[in-house]
Amino acid sequence: MLVLLFKNFIRSKGTKIGLLFLLLIGFLSLLIGKQFQEKQQHTIAEAIHYQQEHIARNAAFHKDEMGLLLYYIKFSLVNKTVPVNSLAIGQRDVNPSVQSVTIRGLEAQQYDAELNNPNNLLSGNIDFSFVLVYLFPLLIIAFTYNIISEEKESGTWKIVATQSQNTFLYILKLFYIRILSLIVLLSLVLIAAVLFLSIPIDQSFLAFYGLGILYLLFWFAVCFYIVSLQKNSNFNAVLLLTIWLFLIIVLPATINTYIVSQYPVPEALELTLKQRNAYHEKWDMDKKITIDKFYSHYPQFKNYPLPETEFSWLWYYAMQQAGDDDSSVQSKELQSKLKQRNEASAFIALFIPTLHTQLQLNEIAKSDLENQLLFLKATRQFHEKLRLHFYPKIFGNEAVNQQKWGQFKVETFEDTSAVKLSKAFLPLFLFNLFFIVLGWRNFRNHKLQTF
Amino acid sequence: MKSFHVEILIAKHFKKSVFQNKAVFIITLFIGVLLLYAAFSGWENYTRQNETSEKYQHESRKDWLNNPDKNPHRMAHYGNFAFRKSTSLSVFEFGMEPFFGNAIFLEAHKQNTANFSEAGFSNSMLRFGEISSAMIVQVLLPLLIFFLGFNAVAAERENGTLKLLLSQGISWKQLLAGKILGVASVIMLLFVPTIIILVLIWLLLQHFSISPDEILKLLLFLLFHFVYLLFFCAIAVLVSAASTTSKKALISLIGIWLVCTIILPRTTQAMGAYLYKAPSKIQFNSDIEKDILKQGDSHNPNDLHYKAIKDSLLLAYKVDSVQQLPFNYSGFIMTEGEKISSRIYNKHLEALLKIYDQQNSFSKAVSFINPYIAMKNISMGLSNTDYDSYIDFQKQAEAYRYNMAQKMNGLQIKFISNKKPGATDKPLTIDKEHWAEVAEFHYEPKGIRAVLKSEISSVISIMLWISLLFILIRLAAKKLKAI
Repeated sequence: MLVLLFKNFIRSKGTKIGLLFLLLIGFLSLLIGKQFQEKQQHTIAEAIHYQQEHIARNAAFHKDEMGLLLYYIKFSLVNKTVPVNSLAIGQRDVNPSVQSVTIRGLEAQQYDAELNNPNNLLSGNIDFSFVLVYLFPLLIIAFTYNIISEEKESGTWKIVATQSQNTFLYILKLFYIRILSLIVLLSLVLIAAVLFLSIPIDQSFLAFYGLGILYLLFWFAVCFYIVSLQKNSNFNAVLLLTIWLFLIIVLPATINTYIVSQYPVPEALELTLKQRNAYHEKWDMDKKITIDKFYSHYPQFKNYPLPETEFSWLWYYAMQQAGDDDSSVQSKELQSKLKQRNEASAFIALFIPTLHTQLQLNEIAKSDLENQLLFLKATRQFHEKLRLHFYPKIFGNEAVNQQKWGQFKVETFEDTSAVKLSKAFLPLFLFNLFFIVLGWRNFRNHKLQTF
Repeated sequence: MKSFHVEILIAKHFKKSVFQNKAVFIITLFIGVLLLYAAFSGWENYTRQNETSEKYQHESRKDWLNNPDKNPHRMAHYGNFAFRKSTSLSVFEFGMEPFFGNAIFLEAHKQNTANFSEAGFSNSMLRFGEISSAMIVQVLLPLLIFFLGFNAVAAERENGTLKLLLSQGISWKQLLAGKILGVASVIMLLFVPTIIILVLIWLLLQHFSISPDEILKLLLFLLFHFVYLLFFCAIAVLVSAASTTSKKALISLIGIWLVCTIILPRTTQAMGAYLYKAPSKIQFNSDIEKDILKQGDSHNPNDLHYKAIKDSLLLAYKVDSVQQLPFNYSGFIMTEGEKISSRIYNKHLEALLKIYDQQNSFSKAVSFINPYIAMKNISMGLSNTDYDSYIDFQKQAEAYRYNMAQKMNGLQIKFISNKKPGATDKPLTIDKEHWAEVAEFHYEPKGIRAVLKSEISSVISIMLWISLLFILIRLAAKKLKAI
């Protein structure tokens, strides 16, 4: 029976075209993922090469003054891209994966944007998460919207009803075949991804896979429920497409508007203005004020007295430091606003399976806002470490050629936050259960009408 | 004169039958509510964006002017900001705005990136799209039109009423026109109030003082959307007439909608981005640095380029050292350095923008087979939220930066003594009233002519689509059969 049903399903021209289309676009998404991966690797290689050359060249030029040299040289920190990232590019195209900073004021540097064609950002990537979140549901709808209605409309339903003892079981079998076909398709693309993008089969990958399957089941559950209402094909098609539209476009977009207006970030502009003034005004102020502030931030440097000269590097870096210190209120506000945004959207997403899936996939792929915030935090620590290392060398005016410049390699930040499986899977699981139970009750209560 | 009595009768009848369907009524109502929400949230966004940007633009200007007497080069490093402002039509069409940086720091020697885009502060939610009035009209209304129109003719065919109609002397042309009119009249129930609200908001935003340029933009914005919707009404009726059953009509229409609004826009842009690789920021900057070093390094005393300048100056002024020159030598060298580095930067930027143009060329070309992309491009152009407007903003900011830096260099050459102060001397300064000589940054959005010029392919495409439609209706009227 199952074999026959499967043959019947797969023989239809529409099915073949649909599956083939999805398979093709799935592979296309892997190609795009591959290109993204290569671009990331290339950028990192470039950063490593550039840093070496750049430091060596500047150290040769500015060999007399440590302070002047450190005015120029930049050190890079890389936000490690995990292999699964190629499947869910997320925010990694908007936000730079490499931060290059001098030891001067950080606030003026850390929000520097990546170069981008806004057109690409607007239309979005065709990464695998797009294929999964947007396109798989369309195929699921196309495969199931007329499961009963088609047979009713063509008059074959009566034959089915009289020939099989349990029509409900028959419907389950129809669903089973379709679920199986799409899970096989999903697995095929992911296996190809493992081979083609050299993704290790680890916990992140399995979580990705599991989430994918649960998400497909969610759409099957929704379709199962709609089919259980036993309306005509046109009604089902319109309703399911409207649901799709809702979950994929209308709701996420509305929520985004809500979040943006609920948590605006004027702090960002406030911060840049503040940091500019805080640093520059020190040029016209009594040096003692700046220096005292600096000493109270870093008591360990009190033993470097301010030189008599009009200009000194101690004073200069104390001014730069003041730019950061005086704007730290705004900086912290901005960070906490962004955190709130992230938390609010993650919470709302719990109730919207499409949004939840996309956010979770990005979280697994370390390409969400959370990752970006952690990276910014790591950048601050990286920057502080460099400052603490170089400040005494600048203030003591140590010889440039005595330093081991070769040791300043590009560093890598690795986001080690673990994937919370329960948080990822549970909402989808509950939604699935909800729709299946609803659908099942409908089938039980109304029996299957035979027209 | 020919009267359209029959067509109007068919349209009225269609409209009545549509509203007997409760689901359609609910969906229409819902889209109406969504439109209102979009209009008001767009309004709020626009006001906040512009208030913030204006506030900080003024604040930064005040800060600039409040600087005490200083060396002008200090001021060149103090710098200015360019904050992006939106045009009034962006209330309805957000376009690429969320992906634009909102502030550029403008300082000497360095071209900074436009930072603080909405997208950078967002999690991936933004990537699902945004609810704007334009998005609803361009994406959701066509689908509603398809839902309304799929059984316009096909249902009559299924019921057998089609034969009846045609045998009563109604021509195919009249029938099609009447049905198109019918669908359109339902859609206009949404579209016309939307227009009224939009125009009111638009007037309020500008306090009823409007430039002819903006009026033209608004009129074209409304006209194109109107034509665009009619186009989909016609497509819906034509497909319905050509399909044997209403189900087939529905499925074909949904397919057309998905391909036009969801699948094609992404795939074509992705194809462009895939084929034309753009460099990352690190690559871009290091290429520029390499070129600048090749051209000459003003920090290197033995650099050939700068040594030649020095020698020719010494010769011209008949002195043996730069300290004897009658003007500030380092100001002069910085002027030269700024000129060189800007030229090199602009050269690289042009190359980068050319890659972006190539990436976008796919979408532009596809606007000929996809009216949605054509409409989107036109509406983003008219509301100055398109790619070209953003590049224009960045270019205006860069021009401002260059002038500011060179102005400060000029002041240094003219007013700062050429004799370096000693280690314990007070720094050399000029009077602070010079700061006002640099005008405030003001962004001038592209006018209607420039917009139409850059979106010409989309305008042509829409016109081609309209003419194709007339041809199709004529053809259909001849070829269609009742059964």
